[in-house]
Amino acid sequence: MMSRIRSKIAIAALAVALGLTGCATTFPADPEGTLDRVSGGTLRVGISPNGEWTQMTDDGEASGIEVDLVEEFAGSIDADIAWVEGSEERLMTQLEEGSLDLVIGGLTDQSPWSDRSAITKPFTEVTTSTGLEKHVMAAPMGENAFLLELERFLLNTEGAP
Amino acid sequence: MSDVGFGETALPQRQKETLAKAIRLEWITIGFLAVTVTLVFLVLGNSQAMKAAWIEDLLSFIPPIVFLIAVRLARRKPNPKHPYGFHRSVGVGHLVAAVALVTMGTFLIVDSGSGLIMGEHPSIGSVELFGQVFWLGWLMMGVMALIALPPVFIGRAKMKLARELHDKVLYADADMNKADWMTALGSMVGVGGIGLGLWWADAAAALFIAGSILKDGLKNARAAVEDLMDTRAMTFDDAKPHPIVHKVDEYLRALPWVADAGSRARDQGHVFHIESFVVPRSRRKVSLADVEAAREGARALDWKVDDIVIIPVKELPRVVEESHPAKSERSRR
Repeated sequence: MMSRIRSKIAIAALAVALGLTGCATTFPADPEGTLDRVSGGTLRVGISPNGEWTQMTDDGEASGIEVDLVEEFAGSIDADIAWVEGSEERLMTQLEEGSLDLVIGGLTDQSPWSDRSAITKPFTEVTTSTGLEKHVMAAPMGENAFLLELERFLLNTEGAP
Repeated sequence: MSDVGFGETALPQRQKETLAKAIRLEWITIGFLAVTVTLVFLVLGNSQAMKAAWIEDLLSFIPPIVFLIAVRLARRKPNPKHPYGFHRSVGVGHLVAAVALVTMGTFLIVDSGSGLIMGEHPSIGSVELFGQVFWLGWLMMGVMALIALPPVFIGRAKMKLARELHDKVLYADADMNKADWMTALGSMVGVGGIGLGLWWADAAAALFIAGSILKDGLKNARAAVEDLMDTRAMTFDDAKPHPIVHKVDEYLRALPWVADAGSRARDQGHVFHIESFVVPRSRRKVSLADVEAAREGARALDWKVDDIVIIPVKELPRVVEESHPAKSERSRR
Protein backbone atom coordinates (compact mmCIF):
# COMPACT_ATOMS: atom_id res chain seq x y z
CA MET A 1 0.00 0.00 0.00
CA MET A 2 2.88 2.29 0.94
CA SER A 3 4.56 1.66 -2.40
CA ARG A 4 1.38 2.55 -4.25
CA ILE A 5 1.22 5.91 -2.49
CA ARG A 6 4.90 6.42 -3.25
CA SER A 7 4.53 5.68 -6.93
CA LYS A 8 1.62 8.11 -7.07
CA ILE A 9 3.85 10.80 -5.57
CA ALA A 10 6.52 9.95 -8.15
CA ILE A 11 4.14 10.18 -11.07
CA ALA A 12 2.72 13.48 -9.80
CA ALA A 13 6.21 14.94 -9.31
CA LEU A 14 7.29 13.86 -12.78
CA ALA A 15 4.15 15.30 -14.32
CA VAL A 16 4.71 18.63 -12.56
CA ALA A 17 8.37 18.67 -13.62
CA LEU A 18 7.55 17.89 -17.25
CA GLY A 19 4.64 20.34 -17.29
CA LEU A 20 6.81 23.13 -15.97
CA THR A 21 9.61 22.31 -18.41
CA GLY A 22 7.11 22.77 -21.21
CA CYS A 23 6.41 26.40 -20.40
CA ALA A 24 9.96 27.63 -19.69
CA THR A 25 11.59 29.61 -22.46
CA THR A 26 15.18 29.34 -21.28
CA PHE A 27 16.69 26.68 -19.09
CA PRO A 28 18.00 27.61 -16.61
CA ALA A 29 15.80 30.69 -16.22
CA ASP A 30 16.32 33.81 -14.07
CA PRO A 31 13.78 34.25 -11.26
CA GLU A 32 14.11 38.05 -11.72
CA GLY A 33 14.65 37.97 -15.48
CA THR A 34 18.09 39.64 -15.48
CA LEU A 35 19.41 38.22 -18.75
CA ASP A 36 16.22 39.12 -20.63
CA ARG A 37 16.30 42.66 -19.29
CA VAL A 38 19.97 43.42 -19.99
CA SER A 39 20.07 41.80 -23.44
CA GLY A 40 19.61 44.70 -25.83
CA GLY A 41 19.18 46.96 -22.78
CA THR A 42 21.42 48.34 -20.05
CA LEU A 43 23.85 46.34 -17.94
CA ARG A 44 24.30 48.09 -14.58
CA VAL A 45 27.84 47.32 -13.41
CA GLY A 46 29.18 48.21 -9.98
CA ILE A 47 32.88 49.00 -10.09
CA SER A 48 35.21 49.22 -7.12
CA PRO A 49 38.64 50.58 -8.18
CA ASN A 50 41.39 48.03 -7.65
CA GLY A 51 44.76 48.51 -9.39
CA GLU A 52 45.17 47.23 -12.92
CA TRP A 53 41.87 45.32 -12.74
CA THR A 54 39.47 48.22 -12.33
CA GLN A 55 40.12 51.96 -12.54
CA MET A 56 37.82 54.95 -12.58
CA THR A 57 38.75 58.52 -13.58
CA ASP A 58 37.18 61.56 -11.89
CA ASP A 59 34.93 62.15 -14.90
CA GLY A 60 33.50 58.61 -14.77
CA GLU A 61 35.68 56.89 -17.38
CA ALA A 62 36.19 53.18 -16.51
CA SER A 63 39.26 51.22 -17.56
CA GLY A 64 41.24 48.13 -16.62
CA ILE A 65 41.47 44.41 -17.41
CA GLU A 66 38.05 43.60 -15.98
CA VAL A 67 36.45 46.65 -17.54
CA ASP A 68 37.62 45.46 -20.95
CA LEU A 69 36.14 42.02 -20.28
CA VAL A 70 32.79 43.46 -19.15
CA GLU A 71 32.63 45.72 -22.18
CA GLU A 72 33.26 42.77 -24.46
CA PHE A 73 30.60 40.73 -22.62
CA ALA A 74 28.10 43.59 -22.89
CA GLY A 75 28.82 43.73 -26.60
CA SER A 76 28.11 40.01 -26.94
CA ILE A 77 24.59 40.46 -25.56
CA ASP A 78 24.09 43.83 -27.21
CA ALA A 79 23.90 45.76 -23.94
CA ASP A 80 24.95 49.29 -22.96
CA ILE A 81 26.82 49.68 -19.68
CA ALA A 82 25.89 52.00 -16.82
CA TRP A 83 28.91 52.20 -14.47
CA VAL A 84 28.29 52.74 -10.75
CA GLU A 85 31.36 53.42 -8.61
CA GLY A 86 31.44 52.53 -4.93
CA SER A 87 33.04 50.53 -2.16
CA GLU A 88 32.74 46.75 -2.37
CA GLU A 89 30.31 46.57 0.53
CA ARG A 90 28.08 49.27 -0.87
CA LEU A 91 28.06 47.65 -4.30
CA MET A 92 27.30 44.21 -2.87
CA THR A 93 24.32 45.64 -1.01
CA GLN A 94 23.04 47.19 -4.24
CA LEU A 95 23.61 43.88 -6.05
CA GLU A 96 21.52 42.12 -3.40
CA GLU A 97 18.79 44.74 -3.64
CA GLY A 98 18.65 44.22 -7.37
CA SER A 99 19.80 47.70 -8.41
CA LEU A 100 23.01 46.30 -9.97
CA ASP A 101 23.52 43.38 -12.37
CA LEU A 102 27.24 42.79 -11.90
CA VAL A 103 30.05 43.84 -9.56
CA ILE A 104 33.76 43.93 -10.47
CA GLY A 105 36.76 45.14 -8.49
CA GLY A 106 39.63 42.66 -8.69
CA LEU A 107 37.64 40.13 -6.63
CA THR A 108 39.16 36.69 -6.12
CA ASP A 109 37.57 33.33 -5.38
CA GLN A 110 38.56 33.90 -1.73
CA SER A 111 36.08 36.78 -1.62
CA PRO A 112 33.99 36.92 1.56
CA TRP A 113 31.00 38.03 -0.54
CA SER A 114 30.10 34.51 -1.70
CA ASP A 115 27.14 34.43 0.72
CA ARG A 116 25.62 37.52 -0.78
CA SER A 117 26.37 37.14 -4.47
CA ALA A 118 26.92 34.49 -7.13
CA ILE A 119 30.69 34.34 -7.57
CA THR A 120 31.65 33.33 -11.13
CA LYS A 121 34.18 30.69 -12.03
CA PRO A 122 37.71 32.20 -12.09
CA PHE A 123 38.45 33.79 -15.46
CA THR A 124 42.16 34.30 -14.86
CA GLU A 125 44.90 33.35 -12.42
CA VAL A 126 47.88 35.45 -11.39
CA THR A 127 50.71 34.72 -9.01
CA THR A 128 51.35 37.53 -6.56
CA SER A 129 53.57 37.87 -3.51
CA THR A 130 50.74 36.41 -1.39
CA GLY A 131 50.24 33.38 -3.62
CA LEU A 132 47.96 32.33 -6.46
CA GLU A 133 45.01 34.66 -7.03
CA LYS A 134 41.99 33.43 -9.00
CA HIS A 135 39.98 36.36 -10.27
CA VAL A 136 36.19 36.32 -10.35
CA MET A 137 33.20 38.62 -10.83
CA ALA A 138 30.04 38.83 -8.72
CA ALA A 139 26.58 38.33 -10.23
CA PRO A 140 23.21 38.53 -8.42
CA MET A 141 22.22 35.45 -6.42
CA GLY A 142 20.12 32.90 -8.26
CA GLU A 143 20.02 34.63 -11.66
CA ASN A 144 21.24 31.45 -13.26
CA ALA A 145 20.60 32.20 -16.94
CA PHE A 146 22.62 35.42 -16.59
CA LEU A 147 25.32 33.65 -14.57
CA LEU A 148 25.61 30.86 -17.14
CA GLU A 149 25.80 33.37 -20.03
CA LEU A 150 28.52 35.34 -18.22
CA GLU A 151 30.52 32.23 -17.30
CA ARG A 152 30.28 30.92 -20.87
CA PHE A 153 31.71 34.21 -22.09
CA LEU A 154 34.47 34.27 -19.46
CA LEU A 155 35.48 30.65 -20.07
CA ASN A 156 35.68 31.24 -23.82
CA THR A 157 37.95 34.26 -23.37
CA GLU A 158 39.93 32.59 -20.57
CA GLY A 159 43.53 33.67 -20.19
CA ALA A 160 42.91 36.74 -22.32
CA PRO A 161 44.67 39.32 -20.11
CA MET B 1 31.87 -20.85 9.25
CA SER B 2 31.15 -23.57 11.80
CA ASP B 3 31.24 -21.23 14.76
CA VAL B 4 28.90 -18.65 13.21
CA GLY B 5 26.19 -17.82 15.66
CA PHE B 6 24.84 -15.27 18.04
CA GLY B 7 26.31 -15.77 21.50
CA GLU B 8 25.60 -19.33 22.68
CA THR B 9 23.08 -19.76 19.89
CA ALA B 10 24.39 -21.72 16.94
CA LEU B 11 22.63 -20.63 13.78
CA PRO B 12 20.91 -23.19 11.57
CA GLN B 13 22.57 -23.66 8.18
CA ARG B 14 19.97 -21.54 6.41
CA GLN B 15 20.42 -18.56 8.73
CA LYS B 16 24.19 -18.91 8.51
CA GLU B 17 23.96 -18.46 4.77
CA THR B 18 21.54 -15.58 5.18
CA LEU B 19 23.89 -13.86 7.60
CA ALA B 20 26.82 -14.29 5.21
CA LYS B 21 24.68 -12.82 2.42
CA ALA B 22 23.60 -9.90 4.59
CA ILE B 23 27.20 -9.12 5.51
CA ARG B 24 28.18 -9.20 1.84
CA LEU B 25 25.24 -6.95 0.90
CA GLU B 26 26.16 -4.42 3.57
CA TRP B 27 29.72 -4.26 2.26
CA ILE B 28 28.31 -3.74 -1.24
CA THR B 29 26.13 -0.97 0.19
CA ILE B 30 29.14 0.72 1.78
CA GLY B 31 31.05 0.51 -1.51
CA PHE B 32 28.11 1.90 -3.45
CA LEU B 33 27.66 4.72 -0.92
CA ALA B 34 31.34 5.65 -1.15
CA VAL B 35 30.92 6.15 -4.90
CA THR B 36 27.60 7.98 -4.47
CA VAL B 37 28.84 10.35 -1.80
CA THR B 38 31.89 11.24 -3.89
CA LEU B 39 29.86 11.80 -7.07
CA VAL B 40 27.23 13.93 -5.35
CA PHE B 41 29.91 15.92 -3.53
CA LEU B 42 31.58 16.76 -6.84
CA VAL B 43 28.38 18.31 -8.23
CA LEU B 44 27.00 19.71 -4.96
CA GLY B 45 26.99 23.37 -6.02
CA ASN B 46 24.75 25.74 -4.12
CA SER B 47 21.62 23.61 -4.18
CA GLN B 48 20.12 23.04 -0.74
CA ALA B 49 18.26 19.96 -2.02
CA MET B 50 21.52 18.45 -3.25
CA LYS B 51 23.10 19.20 0.11
CA ALA B 52 20.23 17.46 1.91
CA ALA B 53 20.49 14.45 -0.40
CA TRP B 54 24.24 14.33 0.16
CA ILE B 55 23.84 14.41 3.93
CA GLU B 56 21.27 11.65 3.69
CA ASP B 57 23.76 9.59 1.70
CA LEU B 58 26.40 10.25 4.35
CA LEU B 59 23.97 9.13 7.07
CA SER B 60 23.22 6.00 5.09
CA PHE B 61 26.70 4.80 6.02
CA ILE B 62 25.66 4.43 9.66
CA PRO B 63 23.18 1.51 9.50
CA PRO B 64 25.45 -0.82 7.46
CA ILE B 65 28.42 -0.02 9.72
CA VAL B 66 26.28 -0.49 12.83
CA PHE B 67 25.02 -3.79 11.43
CA LEU B 68 28.51 -5.08 10.71
CA ILE B 69 29.76 -4.12 14.16
CA ALA B 70 26.66 -5.47 15.90
CA VAL B 71 26.71 -8.91 14.28
CA ARG B 72 30.40 -9.18 15.15
CA LEU B 73 29.80 -8.22 18.79
CA ALA B 74 26.70 -10.38 19.09
CA ARG B 75 28.79 -13.45 18.25
CA ARG B 76 30.69 -13.18 21.51
CA LYS B 77 29.74 -15.76 24.05
CA PRO B 78 28.13 -14.72 27.32
CA ASN B 79 30.60 -14.47 30.19
CA PRO B 80 30.33 -13.78 33.93
CA LYS B 81 30.44 -10.04 33.33
CA HIS B 82 27.91 -10.19 30.49
CA PRO B 83 25.63 -13.08 31.48
CA TYR B 84 23.07 -12.26 28.79
CA GLY B 85 25.65 -12.12 26.02
CA PHE B 86 26.11 -9.23 23.63
CA HIS B 87 22.90 -9.39 21.65
CA ARG B 88 21.84 -5.97 22.83
CA SER B 89 24.60 -4.46 20.69
CA VAL B 90 21.99 -4.57 17.93
CA GLY B 91 19.60 -2.43 19.98
CA VAL B 92 22.32 0.02 20.94
CA GLY B 93 23.38 0.34 17.30
CA HIS B 94 19.78 0.82 16.28
CA LEU B 95 19.38 3.67 18.76
CA VAL B 96 22.65 5.34 17.72
CA ALA B 97 21.62 5.24 14.04
CA ALA B 98 18.18 6.63 14.88
CA VAL B 99 19.54 9.52 16.95
CA ALA B 100 21.91 10.45 14.11
CA LEU B 101 18.95 10.57 11.72
CA VAL B 102 16.84 12.68 14.07
CA THR B 103 19.68 15.15 14.62
CA MET B 104 20.51 15.62 10.96
CA GLY B 105 16.85 15.70 9.93
CA THR B 106 16.18 18.48 12.42
CA PHE B 107 19.29 20.39 11.40
CA LEU B 108 18.35 20.21 7.72
CA ILE B 109 14.77 21.32 8.37
CA VAL B 110 16.03 24.42 10.21
CA ASP B 111 18.73 25.02 7.57
CA SER B 112 16.38 24.66 4.58
CA GLY B 113 13.48 26.37 6.29
CA SER B 114 15.55 29.46 7.09
CA GLY B 115 16.72 29.58 3.46
CA LEU B 116 13.12 29.54 2.36
CA ILE B 117 12.05 32.24 4.82
CA MET B 118 15.03 34.47 4.00
CA GLY B 119 14.23 34.08 0.32
CA GLU B 120 17.72 32.89 -0.58
CA HIS B 121 18.03 32.40 -4.31
CA PRO B 122 20.33 29.45 -5.04
CA SER B 123 22.97 30.10 -7.70
CA ILE B 124 24.05 27.30 -9.98
CA GLY B 125 26.58 28.20 -12.62
CA SER B 126 28.38 26.40 -15.38
CA VAL B 127 30.57 23.36 -15.58
CA GLU B 128 33.15 22.51 -18.20
CA LEU B 129 33.27 18.86 -19.15
CA PHE B 130 34.94 17.34 -22.23
CA GLY B 131 35.46 20.83 -23.68
CA GLN B 132 31.77 21.69 -23.38
CA VAL B 133 30.42 24.42 -21.13
CA PHE B 134 26.94 23.68 -19.83
CA TRP B 135 24.71 24.27 -16.84
CA LEU B 136 25.84 22.40 -13.70
CA GLY B 137 22.19 21.65 -12.89
CA TRP B 138 22.05 19.15 -15.77
CA LEU B 139 24.98 17.27 -14.27
CA MET B 140 23.34 17.31 -10.82
CA MET B 141 20.11 15.85 -12.18
CA GLY B 142 22.05 13.29 -14.22
CA VAL B 143 24.00 12.09 -11.19
CA MET B 144 20.86 11.85 -9.06
CA ALA B 145 19.04 9.89 -11.80
CA LEU B 146 22.00 7.52 -11.98
CA ILE B 147 22.09 6.78 -8.26
CA ALA B 148 18.34 6.73 -7.64
CA LEU B 149 17.51 3.12 -8.39
CA PRO B 150 20.31 0.77 -7.23
CA PRO B 151 19.56 1.32 -3.49
CA VAL B 152 15.95 0.29 -4.09
CA PHE B 153 17.04 -3.14 -5.33
CA ILE B 154 19.66 -3.50 -2.59
CA GLY B 155 16.98 -2.52 -0.06
CA ARG B 156 14.54 -5.12 -1.31
CA ALA B 157 17.17 -7.84 -1.10
CA LYS B 158 18.12 -6.79 2.43
CA MET B 159 14.49 -6.76 3.55
CA LYS B 160 14.17 -10.51 2.89
CA LEU B 161 17.34 -11.20 4.83
CA ALA B 162 16.23 -8.99 7.73
CA ARG B 163 13.08 -11.08 8.11
CA GLU B 164 15.02 -14.34 8.28
CA LEU B 165 17.67 -13.05 10.65
CA HIS B 166 15.20 -11.10 12.76
CA ASP B 167 17.58 -8.15 12.59
CA LYS B 168 16.03 -4.74 13.16
CA VAL B 169 19.08 -2.72 12.15
CA LEU B 170 19.12 -4.53 8.83
CA TYR B 171 15.39 -3.91 8.54
CA ALA B 172 15.78 -0.19 9.23
CA ASP B 173 18.59 -0.02 6.70
CA ALA B 174 16.58 -1.87 4.06
CA ASP B 175 13.57 0.34 4.71
CA MET B 176 15.66 3.49 4.21
CA ASN B 177 17.28 2.14 1.04
CA LYS B 178 13.89 1.32 -0.40
CA ALA B 179 12.77 4.91 0.01
CA ASP B 180 16.04 6.33 -1.30
CA TRP B 181 14.73 7.02 -4.79
CA MET B 182 12.37 9.62 -3.29
CA THR B 183 15.38 11.58 -2.08
CA ALA B 184 17.02 11.41 -5.49
CA LEU B 185 13.81 12.41 -7.23
CA GLY B 186 13.24 15.18 -4.67
CA SER B 187 16.62 16.73 -5.36
CA MET B 188 16.07 16.40 -9.12
CA VAL B 189 12.78 18.27 -8.77
CA GLY B 190 14.56 20.91 -6.64
CA VAL B 191 17.35 21.46 -9.17
CA GLY B 192 14.86 21.31 -12.04
CA GLY B 193 12.85 23.97 -10.22
CA ILE B 194 15.90 26.22 -10.02
CA GLY B 195 16.33 25.72 -13.75
CA LEU B 196 12.78 26.89 -14.31
CA GLY B 197 13.45 30.05 -12.32
CA LEU B 198 11.55 28.83 -9.24
CA TRP B 199 14.11 29.68 -6.59
CA TRP B 200 11.94 28.29 -3.77
CA ALA B 201 11.66 24.82 -5.36
CA ASP B 202 15.15 23.93 -4.16
CA ALA B 203 14.54 24.76 -0.50
CA ALA B 204 11.11 23.12 -0.67
CA ALA B 205 12.63 19.91 -2.06
CA ALA B 206 15.31 20.07 0.65
CA LEU B 207 12.58 20.39 3.29
CA PHE B 208 10.87 17.32 1.85
CA ILE B 209 14.11 15.33 2.04
CA ALA B 210 14.86 16.62 5.55
CA GLY B 211 11.34 15.64 6.59
CA SER B 212 11.85 12.10 5.35
CA ILE B 213 15.16 11.85 7.23
CA LEU B 214 13.50 13.06 10.43
CA LYS B 215 10.59 10.66 9.94
CA ASP B 216 12.98 7.72 9.52
CA GLY B 217 14.85 8.85 12.61
CA LEU B 218 11.79 9.15 14.82
CA LYS B 219 10.37 5.84 13.66
CA ASN B 220 13.65 4.06 14.34
CA ALA B 221 14.27 5.84 17.64
CA ARG B 222 10.87 4.72 18.80
CA ALA B 223 11.45 1.13 17.73
CA ALA B 224 14.94 1.05 19.28
CA VAL B 225 13.78 2.53 22.59
CA GLU B 226 10.86 0.10 22.74
CA ASP B 227 13.23 -2.83 22.33
CA LEU B 228 15.63 -1.50 24.93
CA MET B 229 12.63 -1.07 27.24
CA ASP B 230 11.94 -4.81 26.85
CA THR B 231 8.65 -4.39 25.06
CA ARG B 232 7.22 -7.78 24.21
CA ALA B 233 9.03 -9.41 21.32
CA MET B 234 7.69 -8.19 18.01
CA THR B 235 8.29 -9.31 14.44
CA PHE B 236 11.33 -7.84 12.66
CA ASP B 237 9.25 -4.95 11.27
CA ASP B 238 7.46 -4.27 14.58
CA ALA B 239 4.17 -4.99 12.81
CA LYS B 240 2.79 -7.56 15.27
CA PRO B 241 3.76 -9.59 18.34
CA HIS B 242 6.21 -12.31 17.36
CA PRO B 243 4.29 -15.60 16.85
CA ILE B 244 7.02 -17.73 18.39
CA VAL B 245 6.10 -16.65 21.92
CA HIS B 246 2.57 -17.89 21.44
CA LYS B 247 3.93 -21.14 19.97
CA VAL B 248 6.06 -21.71 23.06
CA ASP B 249 3.00 -21.22 25.29
CA GLU B 250 0.95 -23.66 23.22
CA TYR B 251 3.72 -26.21 23.28
CA LEU B 252 4.04 -25.99 27.06
CA ARG B 253 0.29 -26.13 27.62
CA ALA B 254 0.09 -29.30 25.55
CA LEU B 255 2.50 -31.12 27.86
CA PRO B 256 0.72 -33.71 30.03
CA TRP B 257 2.04 -32.36 33.33
CA VAL B 258 1.19 -28.72 32.58
CA ALA B 259 -2.14 -27.19 33.49
CA ASP B 260 -1.40 -23.71 32.21
CA ALA B 261 1.56 -21.78 30.87
CA GLY B 262 2.45 -18.22 29.96
CA SER B 263 5.69 -16.59 28.84
CA ARG B 264 7.23 -13.21 28.64
CA ALA B 265 9.88 -12.70 25.99
CA ARG B 266 12.28 -9.90 25.37
CA ASP B 267 13.96 -9.31 22.10
CA GLN B 268 17.67 -9.32 22.78
CA GLY B 269 18.33 -8.57 19.13
CA HIS B 270 18.30 -11.65 16.86
CA VAL B 271 17.44 -14.02 19.73
CA PHE B 272 14.81 -13.95 22.44
CA HIS B 273 15.22 -14.33 26.12
CA ILE B 274 12.08 -16.11 27.30
CA GLU B 275 10.78 -16.70 30.79
CA SER B 276 8.06 -19.31 30.74
CA PHE B 277 5.86 -19.76 33.78
CA VAL B 278 4.14 -23.13 34.05
CA VAL B 279 1.42 -24.23 36.47
CA PRO B 280 1.74 -28.01 37.01
CA ARG B 281 -1.43 -30.10 37.19
CA SER B 282 -2.54 -30.53 40.77
CA ARG B 283 -1.18 -33.46 42.74
CA ARG B 284 1.40 -34.14 40.12
CA LYS B 285 5.01 -34.02 41.09
CA VAL B 286 7.20 -32.09 38.72
CA SER B 287 10.47 -33.83 38.09
CA LEU B 288 13.66 -32.21 36.98
CA ALA B 289 13.52 -34.37 33.87
CA ASP B 290 10.09 -32.92 32.96
CA VAL B 291 11.33 -29.37 33.16
CA GLU B 292 14.48 -30.22 31.28
CA ALA B 293 12.52 -31.97 28.52
CA ALA B 294 10.11 -29.04 28.24
CA ARG B 295 13.03 -26.68 27.88
CA GLU B 296 14.63 -28.76 25.13
CA GLY B 297 11.28 -29.07 23.38
CA ALA B 298 10.73 -25.33 23.39
CA ARG B 299 14.24 -24.69 22.12
CA ALA B 300 13.63 -27.04 19.22
CA LEU B 301 10.74 -24.85 18.05
CA ASP B 302 12.91 -22.08 16.64
CA TRP B 303 16.54 -21.01 16.68
CA LYS B 304 15.56 -17.72 18.28
CA VAL B 305 14.30 -19.61 21.34
CA ASP B 306 17.62 -20.43 22.89
CA ASP B 307 17.84 -18.70 26.20
CA ILE B 308 14.67 -19.97 27.85
CA VAL B 309 14.01 -20.58 31.52
CA ILE B 310 11.07 -22.60 32.77
CA ILE B 311 9.66 -21.64 36.12
CA PRO B 312 7.03 -23.84 37.80
CA VAL B 313 4.59 -21.62 39.72
CA LYS B 314 1.34 -21.97 41.62
CA GLU B 315 -0.44 -19.44 39.44
CA LEU B 316 0.57 -17.38 36.44
CA PRO B 317 1.88 -13.86 37.07
CA ARG B 318 -0.57 -11.13 36.05
CA VAL B 319 1.41 -9.91 33.01
CA VAL B 320 1.61 -13.23 31.25
CA GLU B 321 -1.95 -14.04 32.24
CA GLU B 322 -3.13 -10.94 30.41
CA SER B 323 -1.36 -11.93 27.23
CA HIS B 324 -3.24 -15.25 27.30
CA PRO B 325 -5.03 -15.72 23.97
CA ALA B 326 -8.42 -16.20 25.62
CA LYS B 327 -8.06 -13.04 27.68
CA SER B 328 -5.99 -10.92 25.35
CA GLU B 329 -8.98 -10.01 23.18
CA ARG B 330 -10.25 -7.85 26.01
CA SER B 331 -7.02 -6.22 27.00
CA ARG B 332 -5.63 -5.62 23.52
CA ARG B 333 -5.08 -1.91 22.93
